[in-house]
Amino acid sequence: MAYHSPYRAPPHINAPPDQSFLWNIFQRVDKDRSGVISDSELQQALSNGTWTPFNPVTVRSIISMFDRENKGGVNFNEFAGVWKYITDWQNIFRNYDRDNSGFIDKNELKQALTGFGEQQSYRLSDQFYCTLIEKFDRQRKGQVAFDDFIQCCIVLQRLTDVFRRYDTDQDGWIQVSYEQYLSMVFNIV
Amino acid sequence: MAFQGYGAAPGGVAQQDPLYGYFSAVAGQDGQISADELQSCLTHSGISGSYKPFSLETCRLMISMLDRDMSNSLGFAEFKDLWQVLNGWKMTFASYDRDRSGTVEGQELQHAVASMAGYNLSPQAMNIIMKRFSSHGRITFDDFVSCCVKLRALTAQFQRRDTTRTGNASFQYDDFIQVTMAI
Repeated sequence: MAYHSPYRAPPHINAPPDQSFLWNIFQRVDKDRSGVISDSELQQALSNGTWTPFNPVTVRSIISMFDRENKGGVNFNEFAGVWKYITDWQNIFRNYDRDNSGFIDKNELKQALTGFGEQQSYRLSDQFYCTLIEKFDRQRKGQVAFDDFIQCCIVLQRLTDVFRRYDTDQDGWIQVSYEQYLSMVFNIV
Repeated sequence: MAFQGYGAAPGGVAQQDPLYGYFSAVAGQDGQISADELQSCLTHSGISGSYKPFSLETCRLMISMLDRDMSNSLGFAEFKDLWQVLNGWKMTFASYDRDRSGTVEGQELQHAVASMAGYNLSPQAMNIIMKRFSSHGRITFDDFVSCCVKLRALTAQFQRRDTTRTGNASFQYDDFIQVTMAI
């Protein structure tokens, strides 16, 4: 699918940080010194550039991605993954926020989501980017801030992955039963 | 619906409607209510009864279900429709909440939801729904409403594309994404 996953970011952009650097950050974020960074602790540590709290839904998505033990938070080992994930997204965001406004507008979003390697049959219509912004823009600016941008990409990625699983001939069409449809969508919305 | 200019009609039938009182208490000059106004309105109307008031997210969902003019808000006519639907769902829910705990157990939910969908729901489909909307095997009224709204919307979208009525629908990628994002 044609959008950037942080895992496609070229390796030289993010050299692995050293452990003591990460440990310092971890300790600062883990305010109650529980050894696990919770949703609220991570939320407080992140900035979306708008002086409003980081999107809690995005925080939950990120934590659940790296929390291997279903404990509702991340330990130090898992935190390394979180740190890299967020740093990669910061790079992507900065890369597409061409006018450096701190927000990604409809055109910049379109660029970000239709980067290289786009499959012809997986295009999104132009008007749809308005719908995307409408749905994810919590600041009501008609543009997406960093946290909402991540959330948008995460949801789009999940939907595309599930669509692709059913699109066996890769022609951009699927035929599904009612139950398959429910199972595809209810896991994500 | 017979009402024009929701909230602006002078001496119209709308103003004698008891629902109009709840509606106009929160609607602004534009005669439309947004998600947080809807939340306030429903809470004050007591429609939830002894159940916890609706979350903002559920209110947003309810608006998207009935918002015909894509305004992200409800006019009075749409609000009345919502009221009727909600009351129906509340009665269904209450009939299964026999111990008045405010939550319905998984098994009972199956019966409640099965009557909503236009298709027969298999045990697997019910499992999917249960997993998504219940916590520890129980579902609150707010989550039940959320479930009903989404199921209704998804089923309608699916039916529109099941032109041969075989229980199979075709989706193009762009369409699939849009439909799901609209919920």
